[in-house]
Amino acid sequence: MTQDRPLLAVQEALQKCFPVVEEQQGLWRSTLSDCQPLLASLSNLAEQLQAAQNVRFEDVRSLRAFPDLKERLRRKQLSAGDIVLDKLGERLASLLKVRDTVSSHVEQVFQVYEQHANTVDIDAVLQPSVVSPSLADMLEWLQDIERHYRNSYLKRKYLLSSIHWGDLANIQALPKAWDQISEDEQDLVQGHGWVYMGHPLPFPEAQESGWMQREN
Amino acid sequence: MILTFHNNCFFYSVSAKALGVATPRKPVLSVSARKIKDNAADWHNLILKWESLSDAGFATANNIANLKISLLSKDKIELESSSPASDKNEEKPYPECNKELEMLCEELQATLDGLTKIQGKMEKLTSTTKGICDLENYHYGEESQRPPLFHTWPTAHFYAVSRRLSDMYRKELLLKRTIVEELAHSSDHDLALSYLSMWLHQPYVENASQLLLEGMLLETGHRTL
Repeated sequence: MTQDRPLLAVQEALQKCFPVVEEQQGLWRSTLSDCQPLLASLSNLAEQLQAAQNVRFEDVRSLRAFPDLKERLRRKQLSAGDIVLDKLGERLASLLKVRDTVSSHVEQVFQVYEQHANTVDIDAVLQPSVVSPSLADMLEWLQDIERHYRNSYLKRKYLLSSIHWGDLANIQALPKAWDQISEDEQDLVQGHGWVYMGHPLPFPEAQESGWMQREN
Repeated sequence: MILTFHNNCFFYSVSAKALGVATPRKPVLSVSARKIKDNAADWHNLILKWESLSDAGFATANNIANLKISLLSKDKIELESSSPASDKNEEKPYPECNKELEMLCEELQATLDGLTKIQGKMEKLTSTTKGICDLENYHYGEESQRPPLFHTWPTAHFYAVSRRLSDMYRKELLLKRTIVEELAHSSDHDLALSYLSMWLHQPYVENASQLLLEGMLLETGHRTL
């Protein structure tokens, strides 16, 4: 029994961590979906800017009465773009918050594990039960999950920082590039043999562990 | 939010007349202040109405542009695939689309008429503000000591702001009229999209307009800090 105690401590830490990750994943997803309409409107603005650039206003007879129109229109389009960029900046800050929250929870789990690393039975760590994956697997997944948020955040931040109004084609392609990042991540999220079902119930108890074996 | 008015100006002018010769200045000025405060509320409400009408117009203009673009691409396909013999029905190739286009154009024209009325009211507000300035000049003449009607703005400043706003919306209306006239006739995709963009972004309504309006509402007490 005393041998199990360190194991229990790690299990408890894991039990606390996974619901947090699950909740943060919900936030992450909803923030990502908030970004899509914003990126679409940026792309749309880029199309408008491009169209106005292609038109020689001075050659359009009906527009000759408005000599300063092109410049005024451009200024308005750009300021509309700035408003969207500000909103995207806010969303990016939310993603960063998710990343940091997940990191700090994962770090706590590893601190607990390291405290008990010398006393814990290595076979027990590697042994999955019928209803829950092995501790080693779960710890590894937590690391994968943390890395996933780090990478994904960086990719998105990099994509958004690449926006500048001199490159309209790039802005027009933003929604696709954004979705591409999500598509590339699909493999990682679905790659495990277990799915966490999200029941925050006492961890070691068999049926209520929150884990289910994937069927395929 | 619609701002409300004091509609008791008449009562005040009557009492001002009754008091008449003895103390002419103060009552006249408080009538002026009320008028200017009402004008500020009018400005706010007219701009709100303009915005919602302009949004509705954008939806219509968008439909016109889409329909026009689809008609153009149909024409293109027709042109590429047609033999010289099919020239007979050249005049009205897509009667149902043209009918719809016509309806949309009428709708946009109606929106423009609405905007024209609003802009007319804006001009009227500006001219009443000018009237109030003239009245004040008449009362004070060359005297430089004039108490402000509210907090800090000299009365002439209300006119300057009103004039600036009026000018912006006058030019914007001119542009919108041009767009209504040209949109359905433009055969160039970029030009059509630019017309739409102009309608949406209102390049002659400067970003400063919001600040001017809010300043006026703050000065007249419709807004508090």
